[in-house]
Amino acid sequence: MGLALIAGFSTANANQDGLGPKITLPENSEGKSCLFPSEQMRREHPDMLKHDRIQTLREGVRAQADGKVLDGSLKQCVNCHAIKDASNKFVRIDNEQHFCASCHKYAAVSIDCFQCHRDIPEGSGDFHALTNHKDVNYSNVAPGTYSLTTEDMANIAPEVISDDN
Amino acid sequence: MTINNENKNNGETASSAESSINLEASRRNFIFGSVAAAGLTVAPGMMLYQTANARSLSDFSLKDGASSKVRWGMLVNTTKEVDWNKCVEACNKEHGLGNEKDSRDDQKTQYIRVVDVKNKGTGYSMSLPVMCQHCENAPCVDVCPTGASMKRADGIVLVDRHRCIGCRYCMMACPYKARSFVHEVLTDQTENTPRGKGCVESCNMCVSRIDNGQEPACVEASEGAIIFGDLNDPETPIAKILAKHGGKQIRADLKLNPGVHYQGI
Ligand code: SF4
Ligand code: SF4
Repeated sequence: MGLALIAGFSTANANQDGLGPKITLPENSEGKSCLFPSEQMRREHPDMLKHDRIQTLREGVRAQADGKVLDGSLKQCVNCHAIKDASNKFVRIDNEQHFCASCHKYAAVSIDCFQCHRDIPEGSGDFHALTNHKDVNYSNVAPGTYSLTTEDMANIAPEVISDDN
Repeated sequence: MTINNENKNNGETASSAESSINLEASRRNFIFGSVAAAGLTVAPGMMLYQTANARSLSDFSLKDGASSKVRWGMLVNTTKEVDWNKCVEACNKEHGLGNEKDSRDDQKTQYIRVVDVKNKGTGYSMSLPVMCQHCENAPCVDVCPTGASMKRADGIVLVDRHRCIGCRYCMMACPYKARSFVHEVLTDQTENTPRGKGCVESCNMCVSRIDNGQEPACVEASEGAIIFGDLNDPETPIAKILAKHGGKQIRADLKLNPGVHYQGI
C-alpha cells in the first residue's frame, strides 16, 4: 500500500506543485543522487533495506565493492540523510523535518526501524571514546558521494596497540 | 548493489561460499599478522598481549562476509589480576547498555557479568567474566521459533532483532544465563548496536568491531587477560596457547562446544 502511494508521486520534485509530501533533503544535496536515481530509491528502498539487513547482519557482508566502500547498514543512510533544524541540531524521527518522516508521515506508513536504530548520526560527528572513528572525515559523506575513501577506512582501522609490556 | 526479492535472500551463506580462499587467509591474518612477526612467546600466567594491525582494504574485503573457515573465539585467563569490571564497563559503553530508565536492576541488559565463586571447603575464591559463550551447538539457536537467534558462519551467535518476537524461549534454553530481554522503550542507542524493546539480546562478540578489524571491547579493556582470535587457524596466538596449555570450557559436559575458553577455572 505505502509503496504504491510513494511510487505514485515518485516523479514529483519535492512539493513542486503543492501536492504530495514535502520531502526534506539534506543540505548540499542539489544535483546529487543517492545510490540510484530518486525515482528508483523511492520505489525500491524498502527492498534494498531488507536485502541489506540480511546481508549485513546475517551474512556479515559489511560493504560493497565497485571501488567504493559502502556500509550496508542503516547507519550509512542516516549519516547521509540527517537533517538539521534552524538551531543546527539534528532532528529526530518524530519531527516532520526528518528525512524519513517527511514522506512517511504524509503517506501514513509507520516505520519501526528507529525503535532500535539511531535516527540521527552518532554523537553528531563525535564518536564515543571506545570507537576509533574520531579522525574520520565524515564531511564528504554527502548524498551522491556516499562512500568513505580508502583513507577514511584506514582511519577507522584500529590503532596499533603496543605489545611490549 | 543489487536488489533481491525475499526468495533470493534465503540463501544466507551464499556470499561467503563465493569468497576466495586467499581473502579468507588474509582475513584471518590481518589481526594477528604482526604478533607472529614479533615472535611473541607465551607461557601460563604470562601477559598475553596481541597487536591489531591496521587493515587496508586490499588485504581484507568487507564484501565477502563471514566465512565458516573462521571460528572466532576467546580465551579468558582468570589467573591474572585484572579488574573484570573494566570489561563490563567497556562492554556497556561499546553497546550503549544501561540506558534503561524504568527497569529493575535484575531486568537490565547485561552482555557480560562477573561471577564470583568460592570453595566453601578450602575458602578459595575467584572471579571470572561470563558472557555468551558462542556455543557451536547453541541451544538458543535450536529453540528459536523464528530463526532470529542465529549463528553466523564464523561462529558468532547473535540475535537478528528484525525477526525476534520476544518469546524468550532462548533465554530459558541458554545454560549460561547469557541473554537479556529489553523491557522498555530505549532511546539513544549506539550506531553499531541497534537495540530496542521487546527483543532478546546478548553478547555478539562485538561483531561490528570484528568486521571492522578490531578486537571486542572487553578484550581491549582486559589488559591482555582475554585474548581473541580464530580458533580454526593453528597459527593464531589463541590456538597456539590452547594447543600448548589447554583451556577449559564452562560446563563442557553439555557438549555445546563454546567458543569461549578459560584458563585457571
Ligand atoms: S551461551 Fe547461551 S546465548 Fe550464547 S550461544 Fe550458548 S546458548 Fe546461546
Ligand atoms: S526471544 Fe527472539 S531470539 Fe529468543 S527464541 Fe524468541 S524469537 Fe528467538
